[in-house]
Amino acid sequence: MKLPLATIKSGGAASWAIRIAVAAAVFAVLLWVPTRGSDPTIGYCLDAFVLMGAAMSLNLLLGFTGQISIGHSAFYGIGAYTTAIFVTRWHWSPFQTMPMAFLIAFVVGVLVSLPALRIKGVYLALVTLALGLVFPQFIKWPKVEWLTGGAKGIDKAGFNFGRHNRTYSIFGWKPFGDMRANGALPFYFWIGVGIVVITYLVCRGVVKSRVGRSLIAIRDNETAAAVMGVNRAVTKGIVFGLSAGLCSLVGCLGTIRTNNVTPDSGYITVLGGITFLIVMVIGGAGSLWGPNIGAVLYIFISVQASNWSNDSSTMPFFLRPFLSWSKVPVGDGIFAILLIALMFVAPFGLVGLWRRLSAKAVAVVPRPFGTASVTTSSATPVAD
Amino acid sequence: MDLFLQRLFDGLSDGSVYALLALGIVIIYRGTGHLNFAQGEMALFCTYVVYQLGEWGIPLVPALLLGMLVGFALGVTTEVALVRPVAKKSTFAVFIVTIGLFQGLNWLDGAIWGDQVLPNSAVSKQQQFPSLFPNKATDFWNIFGAGVRIESVGIFAMVMVLTGLLFLLFNKTKVGLAMNSVASNPESARLVGIPTNRVLSFSWGLAAAIGALGGVVFAGQNHTVNMSMMFGVFIYASAAATLGGFDSPGGAVLGGLILGVIQNMVAGYADVWVGQQMKIGVAFVVIVGVLLVKPSGLFGTSKVERV
Repeated sequence: MKLPLATIKSGGAASWAIRIAVAAAVFAVLLWVPTRGSDPTIGYCLDAFVLMGAAMSLNLLLGFTGQISIGHSAFYGIGAYTTAIFVTRWHWSPFQTMPMAFLIAFVVGVLVSLPALRIKGVYLALVTLALGLVFPQFIKWPKVEWLTGGAKGIDKAGFNFGRHNRTYSIFGWKPFGDMRANGALPFYFWIGVGIVVITYLVCRGVVKSRVGRSLIAIRDNETAAAVMGVNRAVTKGIVFGLSAGLCSLVGCLGTIRTNNVTPDSGYITVLGGITFLIVMVIGGAGSLWGPNIGAVLYIFISVQASNWSNDSSTMPFFLRPFLSWSKVPVGDGIFAILLIALMFVAPFGLVGLWRRLSAKAVAVVPRPFGTASVTTSSATPVAD
Repeated sequence: MDLFLQRLFDGLSDGSVYALLALGIVIIYRGTGHLNFAQGEMALFCTYVVYQLGEWGIPLVPALLLGMLVGFALGVTTEVALVRPVAKKSTFAVFIVTIGLFQGLNWLDGAIWGDQVLPNSAVSKQQQFPSLFPNKATDFWNIFGAGVRIESVGIFAMVMVLTGLLFLLFNKTKVGLAMNSVASNPESARLVGIPTNRVLSFSWGLAAAIGALGGVVFAGQNHTVNMSMMFGVFIYASAAATLGGFDSPGGAVLGGLILGVIQNMVAGYADVWVGQQMKIGVAFVVIVGVLLVKPSGLFGTSKVERV
């Protein structure tokens, strides 16, 4: 076997340099977009945040527990409608509706997980697909129309900006944008950042804890996990609920951002659930960062594809002969091809591919067991 | 009574479409153990092909046969080029491939034919998607005072004949017997010299061709083709397959018919409560209920695992 070109010690100087560089880049983007970015740019970022949150929550379920769900659009919808209903009917602040949405989606998720204890694999996919198809129809059901507004949906469902709002400003810099006009995009941007960070931290916390290890044990060998004393029912139920709850948070963001909600908007139809799945798998199932990378890529390509369909001369020359004849934006087609192609070369998505390829160039030496503090001098490189 | 008969026959004709797609799902599932999520979209693609042939002036029956041929080719190609290489890695990868096919075929329909609902006087010569049987407002038979549409009876009869033919295929021909043996034990089938791979390709092709027929019948019932037409049909078909048992073709047909009848009866008699919107709830309840109470379905063989 060929030796890698370089080795990096985890916790060593090079490792910290990379971490600081990445953190600085993320921080710079986060500051640049809401202050200097144009409105469409902020909008694309919000789209990406929605997909990030949804894909991360789905990853908790599919990537770490191995339970397939195509119906996460239903949980997204629960979040979107909880915010809309509580804001318009009982005049809650949209911020207050988020814990409520989490709670409702958590309970529904746990209820869905009860049959999931008996139903496995593709059958569970079938059940969740049916759930995703039923949800928008349920919203349009005449019996609940008084609450959900039926096919017309609910308007004025988010923040109500007006002259009464304070506008925050630090030496002339307005971090939240103009709060007196409707559509203070930087303000929504920060909400999106908050939701994504919370979702990431919860996923990370779950995965790196005792619960996470039992999840992975269930995914890899359910019988063995049960024999080792993992309580399958409780673990699966809690994770299903958590995943549903986290997914509902981005649903709230979707409503807050567009200020209205209809049964066919956003990711509420079952196609939304399939989009979440595609984003997650392309990014990398079973990796904490994968879904985020998938989301950014998805938004980037979708935006490009809709530009191409408006003006086909902007399409890169190597794609023109294959895709310029399409009557609809080519984003979906590209993702379908990418998805199938990835299953041939890298079943664990782009992150999996990156890990495999980068392992050939750079070896990361893990911290030796027992050295919790960063004492690089005592770390001995492991020869391969 | 007359309303009951009318709903019964409407249910049977709706159920026939579900039965056709459920047959496709079951034929693939019992061969390989994979649930083909792209079954509905494969059928939709073939339906668009039939529509296009109609635009070129080809009558419906030859166009349908050509469409089923396209379906067969599509199924075989999918199995050989996409499913078989990935199946060696994991079943999860196969699941993702079928999801990719779902998305890809749906996009392809839109890319070729545009996303407006067809037939559309702006782009097409046909007034509506042709039906295999007479379907004008005056085309009905009077049975016990009930106006039963000829189209409903025709579709039901056609599906019964097709089921009979498939029964003969599975039980009397060499190909069908090979399919049965691959379904029950692939390893032993290979050992006694059955070309397992070719049998599986044939299963996928057959499933897609039957699905194509289902798509054309469904489009004929609704006089239209559109991109989201098959989502609902697919979930009904999978509910039918669940009800009948995932490895029983006869069960799939019966499940489809039962589901069609239940769905029409519920939407007909409980229209205040269920109505058009929550018809799909029937499929959901059937799937969850059957999987909880009797996961092997009415006619499926329950899986016994040796630990």
